[in-house]
Amino acid sequence: MKIIYTDSLVVGAGLAGLRVAIASKERGLDTIVLSLIPAKRSHSVAAQGGMQASLANTVKGMGDNEDVHFQDTVKGSDWGCDQQVARMFTHCAPKAVRELAHWGVPWSRVSQGDREVIVNAQKVTLTEAKEAHGLINARDFGGTQKWRTCYTADGTGHSLLYAVDNRAISMGIPVHERMEALKIIHDGKRCHGVIARCLITGEIRAYVAKSTTIATGGYGRIYEVSTNAIICEGIGQALALETGVATLGNMEAVQFHPTAIVPVGILTTEGCRGDGGVLRDKDGHRFMPDYEPDKKELASRDVVSRRMTEHIRKGKGVDSPYGPHLWLDITLLGKKHIDTNLREVKEICQHFLGIDPVTEWIPVRPTQHYSMGGIRTKANGESPQLSGLFSVGEAACWDMHGFNRLGGNSLAEAVVGGMIIGQYVADFCQQATLTIDTKLIEHFGRQIDSEITELIEGGGTEKTMTIKQEMLKIMMDYVGIFRNGTQLEQAVNELSELLKRSRNIGLTCKKRHANPELVDALRVKRMLKVALTVASGAHARTESRGAHSREDYPERNDRDWLNRTLSAWPDENALVPTLSYEPIDVLSMELPPGYRGYGTNNAIAHPDTVIRQQQIEQILAELDNPSDRVARQAAIMPYELPDDFMPANQRLFDNVDVKGDPAK
Amino acid sequence: MAVNPLPAKNILSRYNAKGFSHPIWAARADRLQSASGVLLGLFLIMHLHFESSILLGKEAFYQVAQFLEGGIFSETGHGFPILTQIFSVVMLLVVLIHAVFALRRFPTQIGQWRALRQQMKFLPHEDTKIWFWQMVSGFLLFFLVPVHLFTMITNPEIGPHLSAERVVYQNAWVLYVLLLPAVTIHAIFGLYRVSVKWGLITQRFALLKLAKVMLAYLMVLGVASLVAYIIIGRSLSLPVVPFVPGL
Amino acid sequence: MSQARQLTFSIFRYDPQDPNDKPQMVNYYITETPGMTVFIALNKLRETQDPSLQFDFVCRAGICGSCAMVINGKPTLACRTLTANFPSAEISLMPLPGFELIGDLSVNTGKFMRELAEHLQLWLQPNDTDMDIHRIEAPMAPEEAAKLYELERCVECGVCVSACATKQMRDTFVGAVGLMKIARFELDSRDSRTSDDFYHVIGNQDGVFGCMTLLGCQDTCPKDLPHMQQIAYLRRKMAISVTNIT
Repeated sequence: MKIIYTDSLVVGAGLAGLRVAIASKERGLDTIVLSLIPAKRSHSVAAQGGMQASLANTVKGMGDNEDVHFQDTVKGSDWGCDQQVARMFTHCAPKAVRELAHWGVPWSRVSQGDREVIVNAQKVTLTEAKEAHGLINARDFGGTQKWRTCYTADGTGHSLLYAVDNRAISMGIPVHERMEALKIIHDGKRCHGVIARCLITGEIRAYVAKSTTIATGGYGRIYEVSTNAIICEGIGQALALETGVATLGNMEAVQFHPTAIVPVGILTTEGCRGDGGVLRDKDGHRFMPDYEPDKKELASRDVVSRRMTEHIRKGKGVDSPYGPHLWLDITLLGKKHIDTNLREVKEICQHFLGIDPVTEWIPVRPTQHYSMGGIRTKANGESPQLSGLFSVGEAACWDMHGFNRLGGNSLAEAVVGGMIIGQYVADFCQQATLTIDTKLIEHFGRQIDSEITELIEGGGTEKTMTIKQEMLKIMMDYVGIFRNGTQLEQAVNELSELLKRSRNIGLTCKKRHANPELVDALRVKRMLKVALTVASGAHARTESRGAHSREDYPERNDRDWLNRTLSAWPDENALVPTLSYEPIDVLSMELPPGYRGYGTNNAIAHPDTVIRQQQIEQILAELDNPSDRVARQAAIMPYELPDDFMPANQRLFDNVDVKGDPAK
Repeated sequence: MAVNPLPAKNILSRYNAKGFSHPIWAARADRLQSASGVLLGLFLIMHLHFESSILLGKEAFYQVAQFLEGGIFSETGHGFPILTQIFSVVMLLVVLIHAVFALRRFPTQIGQWRALRQQMKFLPHEDTKIWFWQMVSGFLLFFLVPVHLFTMITNPEIGPHLSAERVVYQNAWVLYVLLLPAVTIHAIFGLYRVSVKWGLITQRFALLKLAKVMLAYLMVLGVASLVAYIIIGRSLSLPVVPFVPGL
Repeated sequence: MSQARQLTFSIFRYDPQDPNDKPQMVNYYITETPGMTVFIALNKLRETQDPSLQFDFVCRAGICGSCAMVINGKPTLACRTLTANFPSAEISLMPLPGFELIGDLSVNTGKFMRELAEHLQLWLQPNDTDMDIHRIEAPMAPEEAAKLYELERCVECGVCVSACATKQMRDTFVGAVGLMKIARFELDSRDSRTSDDFYHVIGNQDGVFGCMTLLGCQDTCPKDLPHMQQIAYLRRKMAISVTNIT
């Protein structure tokens, strides 16, 4: 077995992974990226709508800053997020956007003067300031108080990934394509790298590194229908889980996007609604104002998805051979807008539905979209249990999303998280030394080797595809948008049974190289464990928070459940994960739990909430300069960042007001 | 932060190249090939029209030929055949320039030829097919055009009877039967390609349609003229007496 | 409803790593379902008939550029090709020519694109190397940003390379994808490279002057990128730029 040594090893070549690799390389560290596919094909490319950053260049973004972005993010998470991380993130988001402009992203820019937009199905004229001309534009997205989502038409992820990968190429960072990491090399305390298999030759290799960063994205493909790319199968999470030591956080927090097309589940961006599109039922009625008179179609994603499902359950869905759906109507935006700003959407409609969204409504339905949960990390991106193991992006539970992610915060997390954690990874690599017994490497290498031999020669009778399809269906039927105890218990039991059966998989195609069946078999065994953490976590959490919605426990219960689910798999022969809980400390929060602003306020309060509110009032009262928002924030909840990122973000309206006059 | 972009590789070294391998020749060759091609293409369209004046009668053709040979400058009103000779030499030079630069495009290795055939078989594509026929016709023209031009240099007399005699009794019709389709295909699609290549038009498909109409028209014109010469030629008795207007 | 059609897929099969294997076309039969794409059909074939069948899909939404292959003589993205587009019910699938074959329908476009990017330096090389990420960004004309995005929509699927007979004949030719990307950076006001710099990279027989305008790129690009227009633009630009070179 070939052993490759490096300083900073990154698994996954999407935005987050590449950004960490760039940060490592900038410090002169030897860096290698492993990827299942060419870097530019990573799923980051599919993000259409944009990334949130409080630049406040547009008239509708006026008054926006880190504080407002922070509040939106925390509320959006239903107070499930780590508020310090949310602060780190919102502070660095504008920096990331500006850095990306420097790396080549052609952000859409503001044009001074009047422009017509659609707000709440009405034509509205906005007047942009002269000073803002040519600065980075922003559009509206769900769950936000300001227009904050920076974008390049509807190919933002594409532009970002290409710019970042080009940057990585310019720095000579090697990406080992078609390399699948299958096992983490560790000694129970320290992570030493991974064992990987080449998908072309079947060669097993060890990559030994000072730091290992898992940036493999989400686990959406444990569901039958998902907007995710077909490679988002949760193998990164499984890698961590199979160490038996590292933990996964909040795996039950799975987001369903309101508008994926029926039946194939391809996403149409939230930008459709952000730019003024509306949802309609079988009678052509615009129903969202009935449920959410305030935010309407632009309520948080979890809320819109649930309302749509409720509406369909009332019999208002449009019948189709693939089950009922609703309509997304963007015809009111006009041909010009759709042809320039929603082009990918148009192409998708043309190719997969054979319709023209300029004149026709798009059939949509809520569909699995994002994994808030992932490898639990500290604020510096490192696993609390395994030193040297980092995780970033959708793969991680860094925890800025809690139980629901805002649209535009995932692309942002990928680049901002990559930027911040990249610095911590580089710090770690510069301080750490590499001491490893090659016997340990061989031990893990042999495990993979014998796993493959067993699959090929073991004479197992179970078929990979049968097991996979059963898993997909269980997740789809029992662990969906609305959940209940009975179904979740059934899901856990059936998944455990499948896991047992998966140990008896046998292959028809006996090749050791380039064998798609082998690839699937190796993955299915791992995906089942990930699926079990989702189902078990959901079953145990007897409350509703963000995207986790229990019909039998409809209220948010801060008293008993203001915590983070941690799943581990200490016994490799076990059929269920071990769950434990990490409390979220109300007494250190900047924004104590409150009403999120949707439906009735039925939350069961945490006893510390009132105490914390009083504390904050007192802290503010004692301040010398209470009007300085930075000082206020620092007094309530101090947080840390790498020195390079500490300076304040300059904004246009720091110096001029909306008319372009000097600020008073 | 230390930024360390890859050094510029493949660049600069090319500067040292001498002669035709100097980078300046890449642009020059492309421009010269296009310019000479346009010149030849436009000339061909005029050429075919001039010689088709035979369809309007011997008198018309006689006048056209005399006019082009500079008849108005001679006292007798007859032209100078030497002009035809000089012109033919110039055209031969233009053809040579065009050929030299166009030869770069030819698949010179058997592997390239095979790759092209393979490509055309698996991926049928109209413009590739058109280019293929342009290349084949170009190859033929490489031999046919000099023959035609040498005839005109050694034997420059042009007139209804003399030209017809050449066509019929000197068997030039064989040459023309090959030359006509080759040169029209090559020239018309060449003009189409050159407009697209340098971005002179944006309505490509309309232009392609026009090119096909033009091709058909020129073929009809050329064939009709050739037939006319054959009919005239066959009606002549040997030895041929030059046409005299007014008779 | 009429009865579902029986589709015949004629698929190129070859495992270059198996010394005993020979390239061949193999027929598979499958019942068409409504809205079936080549993506759906191939996965079904692999699940039910031949688990060893190799092909690449990632986003399955026409965004990532992984799944380009030659479908009935036209190179295109398989994920968004509906089987209903083929009235004859016979569909032949071949791997993209011009790339290293991994097996069956899978080719190594990633390696090709990475080498191309390194060779042509396909990344932004900005003027001001010490930019300040804490300060307001430099403005850019909104029209320029929109234009750049239009050129940036390339998904590196490799279709233009495989559809280009010039590229097939001359391996060293950079192909449309490289030229399009150069055109994109040439237009970017943030990029410090001059026309001369670009001339040194593509002002030659392997670059823009090697293009014979066969337009396979233009006619097959799944993203409808303006190859013809952009390559012509570059050619004019480079032909003028050469007058400055001595």
